[in-house]
Amino acid sequence: MSEQKTVHFIIERQDGPDSKPYTEEFLVPYRPALNVVAALMEIQKKPVTKDGKKTTPVVWECNCLEKVCGACMMVINGKARQACATLVDQIPQPIRLAPARTFPVIRDLQIDRSVMFESLKRIRGWIDVDGSWEVNTAPIQNPYTAATAYEIAHCMTCGCCLEACPNVGPQSDFIGPAPTVQAYLFNLNPLGSFNKDKRLNALMEKGGITSCGNSQNCVQVCPKNIKLTTYLAQLNRDVNKQALKNIFNK
Amino acid sequence: MFHVTFYIRRLHSICGIVPMGLFLLEHVLTNAEAMGGPAAFNEAIARIALIPHNIMLVIEIFGLAIPFLFHMIYGLYIALQANNNPAQYGYTRNWQFALQRWTAIFLFVFLIIHVVDLRIFTKGGGTPISYALLDEMFNNMGWFVLYLLGMLAAIFHFCNGMTTLCMTWGIAKGPRAQSVVGKLMMLVCAVLCIVTIAFMASYKMH
Repeated sequence: MSEQKTVHFIIERQDGPDSKPYTEEFLVPYRPALNVVAALMEIQKKPVTKDGKKTTPVVWECNCLEKVCGACMMVINGKARQACATLVDQIPQPIRLAPARTFPVIRDLQIDRSVMFESLKRIRGWIDVDGSWEVNTAPIQNPYTAATAYEIAHCMTCGCCLEACPNVGPQSDFIGPAPTVQAYLFNLNPLGSFNKDKRLNALMEKGGITSCGNSQNCVQVCPKNIKLTTYLAQLNRDVNKQALKNIFNK
Repeated sequence: MFHVTFYIRRLHSICGIVPMGLFLLEHVLTNAEAMGGPAAFNEAIARIALIPHNIMLVIEIFGLAIPFLFHMIYGLYIALQANNNPAQYGYTRNWQFALQRWTAIFLFVFLIIHVVDLRIFTKGGGTPISYALLDEMFNNMGWFVLYLLGMLAAIFHFCNGMTTLCMTWGIAKGPRAQSVVGKLMMLVCAVLCIVTIAFMASYKMH
């Protein structure tokens, strides 16, 4: 019988939020259509390094396994992407895995992305349905912008765009492309548009849309192919108009 | 609500074209006269000197010095907010983004040297700027290379700045519009760079 084909992984690990990172190498038995999450599951079953040393299983997050939830975002061969949708056959080996260090690392490849939830709250990323007014049946979506809204609604807050953006990180207070563009989604909604001014004003605050430096990495790495730079330009237009309103409407 | 950051960022963007971009174009055009020889260059300088001294001083302080210092100092703050990563994400726009910041830091130093040396000490000290003065200065290869690089960096920074300005102000929105603006500005950049290399080389070729 021929020798078992293996896949070589070099994984950047870290035992805790404040511990020092180190790398460990693993050989995972190859099988057709193997993806990175499946390979990590193999390492979890048999946590033995390339040199035969027994180690702790590598920690990572995953959920849907079909590029919908965004949980398994990590840096694979230097680029932020979803581990579940990364097929071993399509990338060169050795495969280097690292946590997305734009976010605080909890352990190994597991990161804390709660900052994006905070940003979504900041831009008022919801639609207010309750109020002191009568609530009738919901208005219809504008059929001409529905396709755009559907596209932006695909955002799964995976954080690829934040990881790739040179302006997001500890050195800057930019909330990042994903939460910024969500403001446009809620502004497009017929009910959401009631609070359009509030969202645009939130984007004009420090760390909002003005921190975008147009490196355009976000649109390149977005796993859902959302035209982030287009909507950022649209929001730039909108906040400029809002600024004029703020100055001249009072 | 008063969005200080927003207005400062937009002012920084405007300062990049008026007056900085226009002043850069004036520099390229005036200096290009050097290709016509010493007489043509000195004549171009004399044309600028037709503006009365008092008016010129007001323009220089309020139209140039203050906007320049604002753009330079706030720009340095912006540049330091970026963690440049073109080695990891080697897309064209990301390289341009990083170059915009690298040229910014170089130009910050270069402009201080340039203005302090030629405007404050030389011209301010009573020596008029002339072809002969620059020719002697450029005989030193160090000054020649510094000025050539300074011009090329400023031209790139201006042209790429125009591209990002079109995005920042929501002028070029879609991928096609952004791509057209980007390519057009890089074409302008190439033309201005060729003109600059030509007039700088003319000092070495007589």
